[in-house]
Amino acid sequence: MIRRRVAVTGIGQTEFAKALPGTAWQLALEAVNAALADAGLEPADVDGMCRFAPPFEQVSEPMLVRALGIRELAFFAEAPLGGEALGAVIAHASAAIACGLASVVVCYRAISQSRGGRFGRADRGGPSATGPDDATPDLVVPEDDNRSFAWPYGLMSPGQLFALWATRYMAVHGLTDEDLAQALGTVAITQRGYANRNPAAMMRDRKLDWESYRAARMIATPLRLFDLCLENDGACAVVLTSAEVAASLRADPVYVLSATQSLSPYREPMGIYTDDLIELFPPAAADRLFGQAGVSRGDVDVAELYDATSFMTLKSLESYGFVPDGRGWRYLTETGIGPDSPLPVNTHGGHLSEGYLHGMNGLTEAVRQLRGTACNQVAGAEMALVGAPSGSAMILAR
Amino acid sequence: MAIIPGYSELTAPYWEHARAGRLVVQHCAGCDRSWHPPLPACPGCQSADTGWREVSGDGTVYSYTVVTHPTHFEFADRVPYVVAIVELAEGPRLVTGITGCAPREVRVGMPVRAYFRPVTDDITLPYFEPR
Repeated sequence: MIRRRVAVTGIGQTEFAKALPGTAWQLALEAVNAALADAGLEPADVDGMCRFAPPFEQVSEPMLVRALGIRELAFFAEAPLGGEALGAVIAHASAAIACGLASVVVCYRAISQSRGGRFGRADRGGPSATGPDDATPDLVVPEDDNRSFAWPYGLMSPGQLFALWATRYMAVHGLTDEDLAQALGTVAITQRGYANRNPAAMMRDRKLDWESYRAARMIATPLRLFDLCLENDGACAVVLTSAEVAASLRADPVYVLSATQSLSPYREPMGIYTDDLIELFPPAAADRLFGQAGVSRGDVDVAELYDATSFMTLKSLESYGFVPDGRGWRYLTETGIGPDSPLPVNTHGGHLSEGYLHGMNGLTEAVRQLRGTACNQVAGAEMALVGAPSGSAMILAR
Repeated sequence: MAIIPGYSELTAPYWEHARAGRLVVQHCAGCDRSWHPPLPACPGCQSADTGWREVSGDGTVYSYTVVTHPTHFEFADRVPYVVAIVELAEGPRLVTGITGCAPREVRVGMPVRAYFRPVTDDITLPYFEPR
């Protein structure tokens, strides 16, 4: 088990903005260098790397090894499936350190949606990037990941998929439109409040109140504009080392207690065909996450939950076992996730209001919380859960 | 232009049947299991002796969304449109569209029936409408 044998020794991130001047390569370099500086290490110290696999991560290990002047990587690995790589890269890196394959492992994620590949625009950066025209040829959707059975019907973006989840959730648990709006609006507005106090957040200067939330246009029912995450440029990186190395480098290491990944049939991005569509995170994986950490739900002081949509924050509370199944919406409405709630969630503003970095900015925020340096500091925070969908998550502690 | 499915060796029979007005799913004779989308072997017994079985076309709405913001220019003139997951009477679920009623009238659990809409000379998409 990883339990406290590995630590996050450094974190780094770029500015997050709708369009940054740098390429993803440049952004990755900036974040990695910042993380190394934060750890008190040099590029020459790096001997391991773990990244989100393509097509999501465009910056390869060779690109970074060349540009950083790293002497040699002894370990490098990639985890597939987009945001679901979040827990996996930390699990792989931690395992490599724990069994001696590498001693200083960098994990990173660089995104440049302004230069193509927007998740919310299937026609920007994809095979049909040229735009509409009478002469535009048909878009033939290749048969990979079952997209060819979905795209022709106009099911093309994660936001539309999670709209299907939210509708199903409402039907299974008997919610009215108003019940769901109350719950999801609480997520969007609370996270925006955190972002308003976070200088790094893209939405730091943009207030969101109930009137604006309700008045926002629907994107795909029942999800409104403010239920969907931002699209942006930016990069995040973390440096992992053994606990011993971490303790020699800094007074406030943040330890990895557990990190998990999971794969079951159709439980993957755009996993439309799962037996239970709305099972966001398999219960067995959640039990493994907590069991390997040797802690219980009540020990967690703060959670940074992957929020491609506000609905995922809701469902994550249930899937990780913080709230019984089917009660997440009521919990949000009655208790909430604000600074004074029992479990503050997405204290940086999340993907909805800080920026979208495939969960890596939730990880850097969790580290700041456990160091006691966060903008929206949870008093005395000792343990954090960083969660992505589909069994991918980690528990960290100081 | 149209957004159309690419054929593969595995999926071509599904689309060829659809063009002929038949809705089919893969079926394993060995363990009497049906599934969708297509797989190279039966996920229950690993038999490669799989075939295609025509289904009734009857199903119920498992979930749906009314898309009001297009994410591809091809759909700019089509919003609002309904994307649904329909559970076939025979068990498997598929992604489809619902027409034949106002988008706001679609409900989870609503009984629907397949019909076929040609989108190009080669491609016909199964859609569903209330029954």
